[in-house]
Amino acid sequence: MTRSKNLAKWLISGPPLLYLIFFFAIPTAMMAFAAFRFPGDYGGLMPLFGADPATGKNVLLVNSQNWHDYLTLDNFARFFQEAVYIELFIKSFGYALLTTLLCLLASYPLAWLIARSPKKWRDLLVLLVILPFWSNFLIRVYAWMIILGPQGYFAKLVNTLLGVVGIAPQQFLFTPFAVIIVLVYVHLPFMVLPLYANLEKHDMALLDAAQDLGASRWQRFWKVTWPLSLPGVYAGAALVFIPALGIFAVPDLVGGTDGIMIGNLIKQQFLDSRDWPFGSVLSIMLTLSVLLMAGLMAVLGRGGKRNAL
Amino acid sequence: MHSKQSKWLWAASLLVYGFLYLPLVIVVVYSFNDSRLNAEWVGFTTHWYGVLFADDQMLTAARNSLLIGLVSSIFATFFGTLAGLAMYKYKLRLLPILVLTPIAIPEILMALSLLMFFVALNFSMGYLSIGLAHIAFSIGFVAIVVRSRLQGMDESLVEAARDLGAGPLQAFWRVTFPLILPGIIAGALMAFTLSIDDFVITYFVAGAGASTLPLQIYSMLKIAVTPEVNAISSLLMLLTLALIVIAAKIAPGALRASH
Amino acid sequence: MKKQFLALMLAAGAAMGTAQADDVLHIYNWNNYIAPETVKHFEADCKCKVVQDYYGAMEEMLAKLAAGAKGYDIVVPTGFALPPLIKQGLVQPLDKSKIPNLKNMNPAFMNSQFDKGNVYSVPYAFTTTLIGYNDKKIKELGIDPTSWAAIFDPKVLEKIKGKVTVLDDPKELFAAAMMYNGFNPNSTDINQWQKAKETIIKAKPYWAAFNNQSYIKELTVGNIWLAHGYSNDMFQANTDAHTAKRPFNIAYSLQKEGNTLSVDNMMVMKGAPRPDLAFKFINFMLDGKNSSELTNMIGSGNPNAAAAQFVSPDIKKINAVFPTPDNMKKLYQLNSLEGKPLRDLNRLWTEVKTAR
Repeated sequence: MTRSKNLAKWLISGPPLLYLIFFFAIPTAMMAFAAFRFPGDYGGLMPLFGADPATGKNVLLVNSQNWHDYLTLDNFARFFQEAVYIELFIKSFGYALLTTLLCLLASYPLAWLIARSPKKWRDLLVLLVILPFWSNFLIRVYAWMIILGPQGYFAKLVNTLLGVVGIAPQQFLFTPFAVIIVLVYVHLPFMVLPLYANLEKHDMALLDAAQDLGASRWQRFWKVTWPLSLPGVYAGAALVFIPALGIFAVPDLVGGTDGIMIGNLIKQQFLDSRDWPFGSVLSIMLTLSVLLMAGLMAVLGRGGKRNAL
Repeated sequence: MHSKQSKWLWAASLLVYGFLYLPLVIVVVYSFNDSRLNAEWVGFTTHWYGVLFADDQMLTAARNSLLIGLVSSIFATFFGTLAGLAMYKYKLRLLPILVLTPIAIPEILMALSLLMFFVALNFSMGYLSIGLAHIAFSIGFVAIVVRSRLQGMDESLVEAARDLGAGPLQAFWRVTFPLILPGIIAGALMAFTLSIDDFVITYFVAGAGASTLPLQIYSMLKIAVTPEVNAISSLLMLLTLALIVIAAKIAPGALRASH
Repeated sequence: MKKQFLALMLAAGAAMGTAQADDVLHIYNWNNYIAPETVKHFEADCKCKVVQDYYGAMEEMLAKLAAGAKGYDIVVPTGFALPPLIKQGLVQPLDKSKIPNLKNMNPAFMNSQFDKGNVYSVPYAFTTTLIGYNDKKIKELGIDPTSWAAIFDPKVLEKIKGKVTVLDDPKELFAAAMMYNGFNPNSTDINQWQKAKETIIKAKPYWAAFNNQSYIKELTVGNIWLAHGYSNDMFQANTDAHTAKRPFNIAYSLQKEGNTLSVDNMMVMKGAPRPDLAFKFINFMLDGKNSSELTNMIGSGNPNAAAAQFVSPDIKKINAVFPTPDNMKKLYQLNSLEGKPLRDLNRLWTEVKTAR
């Protein structure tokens, strides 16, 4: 009996486990290992295998004597020695944090409204939030390229208004401003949904009780609703902050010369500079940052993640 | 609820809905604009849709996207459903980590590790590498949807079937499977959309001529945008809308389960 | 409900069932480097289909190929990218018996330092890297476009802040900055490179973007007034501006400090799925008439002697396209980099991109 149960367990969990080991765990391990290797003469990685000069056969070149010619900590040293990289990490953290805060600000009233709407409306209102999110990601970025473009109505209107006040015309596309607004736009539903899932469960009787005790509207919000909604806030924050931190397409398309983030630097190491080991170091650092943030949110949210999924 | 507060809430919410929809409306409106520039409104035309349907590269890319989406979502649904079942039935250590991490980490990390992996294996990049990568990142989403469906399932139904003499396989096919089917369909649809929508991972693991719609759109955004991009975007939005309506008809619970 | 789902799948399957031509030539080329008309002529000639992929920089192409992009038949790299491609074994020797039109080539462009004896490559076209500009705006603002100061000197840039793009290409941008500083663009002296890096970082806040491809359109639209880019792209931008009846021209000129000259070559990939079509294409492009379209329609310089008779006289007069012997003295073909210098440059480039 236990034997057939074990068999069933392996039959069910085996295929996905094998697939993910092969196409996720091993590749990730290879990337982590690459961080300790040297780049090749034309970029990429310095090969660990090569033709043996004596036999001409393909052999492993590394051995216990020469391993330091093949493995190094230099790539990590470079990351910590030059301030620019850490600064870029800090800047990206700043962008992701600002994005998260703005998403929260925009989402809260909306999630609250949906949660307090009559039941028959809720599904529709939620669907309306998700719907734009189902259109292609690049299309959503492109929409903002149209809006913010220097010849667009938005830029012309704002610049005319600025002109009245006597401020010189501003550029919107290809600025950090554009990066933030697009990041908020593409991540907004990730904040609304967990917040709504949380707010929906609140017991209105608590608010009524608070009102009966003479609490003002703000007091009711800060003392009752807000603390109760924190798990939803943390879940939403994790769902917005983490992808926003690693994004490269948005700064790439609307960021200009000053809007780049970690993701762009990593992409550059792999697809322009071909410095794979350093790219791997950056990826490891990004992974560590993400794990740190996810852990932080999980601790703060105390099970808030369940609402998100 | 106080009407004053309610008004304020409505105003803020309408603003957010406007923020969500206005950009997409602009994309659609400009797809009918008789100018290359996406700036001023010049006049109405359906010219860009004509350009789109004469653009072989765009149509090939669309076909590739559909094909990859279809095939990869079938495999991802298979693996993901098994993973969801396994995570629900057994106390496992490794599988949940492998299933959930790809969802939690930024896409670019998975993209790079897959790139290095395929290069190290001297794997010919193309539709196959794209498909394999898409399956890898979709499994987790399917697994979560299926597991949440299982968690909502009444376990006593399965027990009742077993009590009535059904074997474990029979009980699964006759009771569990029909009950979680909406979850599986929702997961499949999600895997399909994720695949069609994916840019980052595809960008890194695509090879020669293996263009998908997002790659094609990206290269047009980088080189020279014409309202043809608006036209394809509008059609894509129409397609997803249709998919959602169909999904709602086939499995009314599917949309809720997926979020 | 299962039936409905099945029907959906079938419908999707039918949409994808459209036949695909078997004879397909895959070309990996610079964007805007062949006229659509020329492609149509070739497709009619070979009864095959041409599928093109584009890159905007050599680094991008090399990285994609090094990252395992396979399935291309033809690639069109600049001189300095030939040695890495050859040494990494990514290309195959040309079967010259299948390219009778080789006889049309201008000998001055053959047998270059990058591929002695043209074993692997044959020149396709050439361009200069220079400054293209909106003639009306630049005249109004009194900017001198014949010096690299126009993209590097903060005093000049102040007038055109946010209206400038530069190439997203470490070799080209560093070469321009080196020449602006009075250095040889082919020097690998790390101190000179450091100086160039500082020049770039000082100018960077004034640039709208690093841009390899869409500056053609941005110049045409008028979003950008001045761009560091390739001569043929400026030609294209000017043609587009005329077609769109914009109230300005896109002018372009060589810089007094010197410019880079890029001779681009056709090569056949190792493991090309269709080497037969690849050689057909090379031979087709070396035909004088066909080659002249690269100049007449794309505005690139032409290394094909047989093309000269078909080239429009207006274009022959443009120095940036057909440099005079005098211009030639200040034109540099960039050298190939490998090992430490390559890593140094990439590191500096990363610092440029990351710097605030």
